[in-house]
Amino acid sequence: MTASTDPTRPGQAEIRGRRQRPLPRQADPDARLLVVENLRTYFTLSSGTVKAVDGVSFELHDGEALGIAGESGCGKTTTALSLVRLLPANAKVVGGSVKFFGIDLATKSENALRRYRWREISVIFQGAMNALNPVRRVGDQVAEPIIERLGVPKAEANRRARELLELVGIARNRAADYPHQLSGGMRQRAMIAMALACDPAIVIGDEPTTALDVMVQAQILELLERLRAQLGLSLILITHDLSVIAETCDRVLVMYAGRVAEEGPVGTLFSGPRHPYTQMLLAAIPNLASDRRLLGTIPGSPPDLRTPPPGCRFHPRCPLVLDVCREIVPDEVRYADGVRVACHLYPPGGDGTRRPIPIVEVTGADASGVTRAPAGGLAP
Amino acid sequence: MTAASVSPANPRRERLRLRMHSAREFVGRFAQHPDGVIGLAILIVFSVLALIPTLLVGRLETATIASGLPLQGPDATHILGTDDLGRDILNLTVHGTRISMLIGLLATLVTVVIGTSFGIVAGYVGGVVDAILMRITDFFLVLPTFVLALILAPIVLDLIGSDALILGIRANLFVTVIVIGVTSWASTARIIRSQALSVRERMFVDRARVIGGSSGHIMRRHILPNVVNLIVANTVLTFAGAVLTETTLAFVGLGDPFDPSWGQILNAAESRGAPGLGAWWFFAPPAACVVLVVLAFTLVGGALDDVLNPRARLRR
Repeated sequence: MTASTDPTRPGQAEIRGRRQRPLPRQADPDARLLVVENLRTYFTLSSGTVKAVDGVSFELHDGEALGIAGESGCGKTTTALSLVRLLPANAKVVGGSVKFFGIDLATKSENALRRYRWREISVIFQGAMNALNPVRRVGDQVAEPIIERLGVPKAEANRRARELLELVGIARNRAADYPHQLSGGMRQRAMIAMALACDPAIVIGDEPTTALDVMVQAQILELLERLRAQLGLSLILITHDLSVIAETCDRVLVMYAGRVAEEGPVGTLFSGPRHPYTQMLLAAIPNLASDRRLLGTIPGSPPDLRTPPPGCRFHPRCPLVLDVCREIVPDEVRYADGVRVACHLYPPGGDGTRRPIPIVEVTGADASGVTRAPAGGLAP
Repeated sequence: MTAASVSPANPRRERLRLRMHSAREFVGRFAQHPDGVIGLAILIVFSVLALIPTLLVGRLETATIASGLPLQGPDATHILGTDDLGRDILNLTVHGTRISMLIGLLATLVTVVIGTSFGIVAGYVGGVVDAILMRITDFFLVLPTFVLALILAPIVLDLIGSDALILGIRANLFVTVIVIGVTSWASTARIIRSQALSVRERMFVDRARVIGGSSGHIMRRHILPNVVNLIVANTVLTFAGAVLTETTLAFVGLGDPFDPSWGQILNAAESRGAPGLGAWWFFAPPAACVVLVVLAFTLVGGALDDVLNPRARLRR
């Protein structure tokens, strides 16, 4: 009756240490955890093909947290769920590769891929109330993947489920509660426990804190942070809330209309955003220190991805648009500080500063806000 | 301090404790419905009658051991009078309870098992399977009970003889069970399917699929628990319907003449012209029993629907 019920007990990490299970047979142990190249996922509608993800590349390193940011409809969720093809029936990964320890998941058959879902890459779903069965006990639901995936006997699985619940800060005896008996934050914690059930290498958080109040949101983020350190998880966090990314993530991937706009270490990118879209996103964050009356907005909305604009997809909304932007798709250029950007203002071979442009009227965005850092929580 | 709140050592006892707890909660909520409680009390009385008729009224009277004179009105020895063979009506009615309830129970079992399986599979799997299962359901939905009984009863009796036992039940009764089961599962299937269709679209079903649950697992563990309230409420009403149908079938002469059910007594009363002779005691008791049982099931069904449906609970 001493530390046995303390969820933060350091011994817990040893209980479920990193990679207790062997890597999949085909895995190359020297390969990188996750390398996504030129991923393309299209939705087929009766009215046309929606290129929801159109040539996205990124990497996830071991133990790293990567944030994917962007407006609604920019392909954040589709990108992440394409990794293990958890997509609606009318969506299809049409190209690119998803290499998990060197194994290309994009070319795996549905059956072969099933082995990787949840065991290697699991998902914390948005809206925990809907992802939990209202008429089954929470503990049983957390135990479900352990039984179904790992083939662990029921009693042992239930014991592990209680352990997991404790790990995410839910008392063991609440395992017998039904979802409606838990608070919103606890339900989200239970979802996290479920995502951790098979000891996955990568956890995808699909807006895990949306619809939670700010205090609970902070607790959930803190929990994810702790679990990441404790279990050595790698995390992909999808959110439209840049402050969440600033607080939790190591790197951030800013998406616009199914493509990468800018990607790089959180600190570097947030303190010196290059892509006009990133700049405008950051300018749209309320800032205690600045003018209280005006908040930056980005006029317009993301394009219809059935007929995306030619050239740079952001050009119709970009205040710094050049002629070239309307015709030619900008290449992604990586600079020495680790930031990758796809914008004609930052040509390849440059030093990472914006190339001089003919002076144009900056419309829409508040020019002083464009290079301003977000309110708080920046990495040092 | 006794670690009873955690008790990881004995999850089985913990589970049992929880079951007991939810059972008590359920009883408590049910008790708030006086109509349901009355219905339940009536059913308990009839269940006792069905279980121990001989203890209550002596062994079943036949023409040879009839205890009274033909068509005696109610008096001190024969509280409910006698029939045209001098048998005690109370004796017959109490013994008839067993057959009526047994047939109701078995027919309900058939109905619920077939109806639920069809409904859940059709609703969850969908597509071609759904279409095929629902066309089959539609076929049974429009089957007339009487015509089916009229056709099936002689065929079965011809094939196996009227004295044969099927699963320990006399062939005649078995036909009644099959006929009622076969003609009433279709509406249950429809009801369950509609609910399964809606549950299937819920996100936790997708989540279960992602986690690795097979279709069978999802149907058993996720769809079934979500339609169980419908099944229970529906079962109770099906039971009432089955008792009524059994009575009707027996009344028109499709029952088993050797096992007295309420319908059989009514049939006998009708064929001996009891109403015309003013022998109301011949047909009133079994008729009252049928009405009471059906009423009781309906009351319990309504109360259960209220207790099991969380939204109905909120309305109160």
